[in-house]
Amino acid sequence: MSFHRSIRSRRNRRKLPGSFELQLTSMMDVLVIIVVFLLKSYSTSTSSFAAAPGLQLPISGSLDSPTESLQVIVTPESMTFENERILDFVMTSGSIGGPETAVYKFKATDLDEGGRRIVPLYDALMKARDKAELLRAKSKTRDPEGKPLPFEGILAIQADKQIQYETIRKIMYTAATAGYKVFRFLAMKRDG
Amino acid sequence: MLKRPSSRRKTSKEPIALNLVPFIDAMVTLIGFMLFTTSFLAIVSIESPFPHASTALTEEKLKQKPLQLTVSLHENDSEIWSPFERITSKKIPHTPEGQPDTKAIHEALLSVKQQFPDETKIVIVPTANTTYDVMISLMDNMRMVTPTDPPIFKRNAATGNDELVKALFPEVIFGNLLGDS
Repeated sequence: MSFHRSIRSRRNRRKLPGSFELQLTSMMDVLVIIVVFLLKSYSTSTSSFAAAPGLQLPISGSLDSPTESLQVIVTPESMTFENERILDFVMTSGSIGGPETAVYKFKATDLDEGGRRIVPLYDALMKARDKAELLRAKSKTRDPEGKPLPFEGILAIQADKQIQYETIRKIMYTAATAGYKVFRFLAMKRDG
Repeated sequence: MLKRPSSRRKTSKEPIALNLVPFIDAMVTLIGFMLFTTSFLAIVSIESPFPHASTALTEEKLKQKPLQLTVSLHENDSEIWSPFERITSKKIPHTPEGQPDTKAIHEALLSVKQQFPDETKIVIVPTANTTYDVMISLMDNMRMVTPTDPPIFKRNAATGNDELVKALFPEVIFGNLLGDS
């Protein structure tokens, strides 16, 4: 029975015409709309900053988009400078309850100048500064006096919303001793 | 021999179909690239310079007694004050959650701005345990004027016209970067 049905269904199957063409015009319309939307949002997001995974950024009503600069990312567990993990915090003895309630602090060996300066961050910042100054010295772009353009010294700070000012202050102090004089605090843009 | 007029008109014209497949290929590639590179999370920034002092300038400024508007956070309250006593010091208690009352601070700063419309700088002195979230919220309330705020005008020296103030105190400086407080 099934054999007969199969033959019948094969016979009844509608044959496609030889010159069958898929209607692509509507698909083109959709794709053009998507491309226009993406181009519109692409042009407004020229900065290379993106929220680091696992980081809860605070929300800000500021309208200033951050321009290109060096960036330090501070999570409750570690610190990253230009995508390179430079130090890990240590869990304090009072936070055995679990990772949710854990409190982290600097290792004593990571600090100097009476606990104000973060040594690994200072080293990384100085290295980045030397590199930037070398590039500026080699660049043909000069100031009106013919000297290489001065080092801008801008540092973007992206920190988890629970990070305390004590840590931020140490970062700012360290950056200032390395010649970075302007700080940009990054946050998520408030909707609306 | 000439053809008959009826046969001359019978030139077979097949409809021309535009080949859209290469266009679609290009579009799909472009969309893939853009989706991969575009970040839909909008990041904004708040800029703050490291405080520095020039001796000559400082001496000159000290003679004029600058406003040097300062917001100091304490354990239980926030204080808005001027080291040169240009304004009456005001203490604003924290919210029941123990956080600085950013709305009340904003309202107090609005009244200071009405007195000193040309002032753009403000010094913030947070405590060591102030979180980054609170810092950003405070800086927002210190820097920006919201649409619900009463309008503040300042005289433009060049034109002599009153102009609407669009920012409260946009230059935020941290006052205790070198200290231990």
